[in-house]
Amino acid sequence: MSTPPLLFDDAYLSYFFGPEHPFSPVRQRMLCSLLEALPLTAEFTAPPAATRQDVCTVHDAAFVDAVARCSTGDLPANVRDFGLNTADVPTFDDMDAAARALCGGTLHGARLIAQGTADRVLQLGGGLHHAHRRKASGFCVYNDLSMAIRALRDEGMRVAYIDIDVHHGDGVQHIHETDPGVLTLSLHESGRYLFPGTGHVHEIGKGAGEGSTLNIPLEPFTEDDSYLETFERVVPFAIERYAPDVLVVQCGADAHFSDPLADLLLTTHAYDAMFTQLLDLAEAHTEGRALFTLGGGYQPDATVRIWTLLAHHVLEAERPTDLPADWLDRWSDEGEAALTPTLHDEPRTFDIERRDSIEAQNRQVSKRALERIAPLWY
Amino acid sequence: MLIQDIMHHPVVTIQATAPVHEAFAQMHEHTIRHLPVVDAKDTLVGIVTDRDIRYATSALTDKPVARNDAVHTVMSKPPITAGPRDPVEDAARTLRQERIGALPVVEGDALVGIITGTDLLDAVLRLTGLEKPGSRLAVALPDEPGQLAALTARVADEGLDIHSVLSYYEPSEGDKPASHLNVILRIDTMNVRPLAAALREEGFQVRWPLDKPTGT
Repeated sequence: MSTPPLLFDDAYLSYFFGPEHPFSPVRQRMLCSLLEALPLTAEFTAPPAATRQDVCTVHDAAFVDAVARCSTGDLPANVRDFGLNTADVPTFDDMDAAARALCGGTLHGARLIAQGTADRVLQLGGGLHHAHRRKASGFCVYNDLSMAIRALRDEGMRVAYIDIDVHHGDGVQHIHETDPGVLTLSLHESGRYLFPGTGHVHEIGKGAGEGSTLNIPLEPFTEDDSYLETFERVVPFAIERYAPDVLVVQCGADAHFSDPLADLLLTTHAYDAMFTQLLDLAEAHTEGRALFTLGGGYQPDATVRIWTLLAHHVLEAERPTDLPADWLDRWSDEGEAALTPTLHDEPRTFDIERRDSIEAQNRQVSKRALERIAPLWY
Repeated sequence: MLIQDIMHHPVVTIQATAPVHEAFAQMHEHTIRHLPVVDAKDTLVGIVTDRDIRYATSALTDKPVARNDAVHTVMSKPPITAGPRDPVEDAARTLRQERIGALPVVEGDALVGIITGTDLLDAVLRLTGLEKPGSRLAVALPDEPGQLAALTARVADEGLDIHSVLSYYEPSEGDKPASHLNVILRIDTMNVRPLAAALREEGFQVRWPLDKPTGT
């Protein structure tokens, strides 16, 4: 296999909601500079932006028009009905173009895979899983993942979408919930506690798509062992049974213990194990075809290290222990506090009183999710 | 609102090997219609209802069971169960879908409670649904005028939209803290922690989100 392409364009960085907003392009600047500073054989490809037509494969024209108007500061009266001009999705100049740049990357990755030009692609952006058909939500304007999934479906491929972001992948789920050719599998902190509030085990798809939506809501303060136990119980089984042609994986890094927006307690070691498994599953079930995107992750130090790990897995490169001193100095100078000097977290223990009951509940939930869906798979 | 908040416990149970008439007597004694059935190790193996017994023992059925036949011959198995930290709406959905009247509540292998349709009707009076994507902010407010107004004003100051307000009154009881109003706001943001921290600083009793353990 040729070297998997890493997709990135400077235009991605213009997806910027302002300096106070957690979804910051500084994460990608840190990530790209780190990948360049490490001894990696990486091939960066700049993808074209998605066209309006591409966007309309997923979104309503009225919504796209509203985004376009917001891009020029001409806010429609009902702008908030579209989830725009809100605390999470403030409008900014050229937001339509910025969002299309990100979507273009994910879509390009899907097309490379559909054409057989690449098996494995890493899109260094995107993962905007909260964007709905006619509504922006949760920092997401357009849904790049769904555009990519549609492009793969147009080529007749069965798609398994795996979402390890700490938030439920509600936009992707709802957009594809009636399509039996798309399995959406989201592991996330339970909607009882965390945004967006959905992703319960009883959401299993609708109509012809019944049985192709799988949700695993996890307890707050879930740690590596329980998360991985759940992942291993559900994900390999689901992929094996579903027999997809390609994996699309949203690799949000916000389940990390240091993330300020959510309540799971993963370390980089859990991500390491998941990335290994996901690539193994692609080898075993999709002839290696897998498209990886970024996603949430609001603690830049942890997020950048997790995505660097991901890049090493995708490229099958040897993972360094330490991060380059020059890189650490540069970003400390730019004001990033307390950067971890190693790729991995130090071993860490948490004092969790309810650990046993958290683990029992996670076991119970994964069992229930599979019980709900299994009758539809046999 | 979670099942553990409204379930009945401890649970009246019956041994699988006990005679049917004993189950019938238990139901009468406790004026209940559902009995979880357990084995010798107290593990839940089924559930029996008053209607199961009446049907099974009726002279109108082909082979009526006798009063000394074992409970396990008339029980439903495996039992459909719920978890203590499942939301009450999950229990409601299961009861409707399965057309049953009660769910034993289990944690691991242990039977920790039971929840019935009647309990859920009570819960509905305390709870309404949630529709839009949002984050949860739970605050216990002192039972005094103006508290809810102060809270919602504070949310508005941050430019945040409130999708829904659920509240239920928690009376003072024994050595528990003073009576308060549990308020659960659904707020239109993914990033609710800065608001929670600010509210805490200002003296609000924020119940969710909690501070995250940092570990060592």
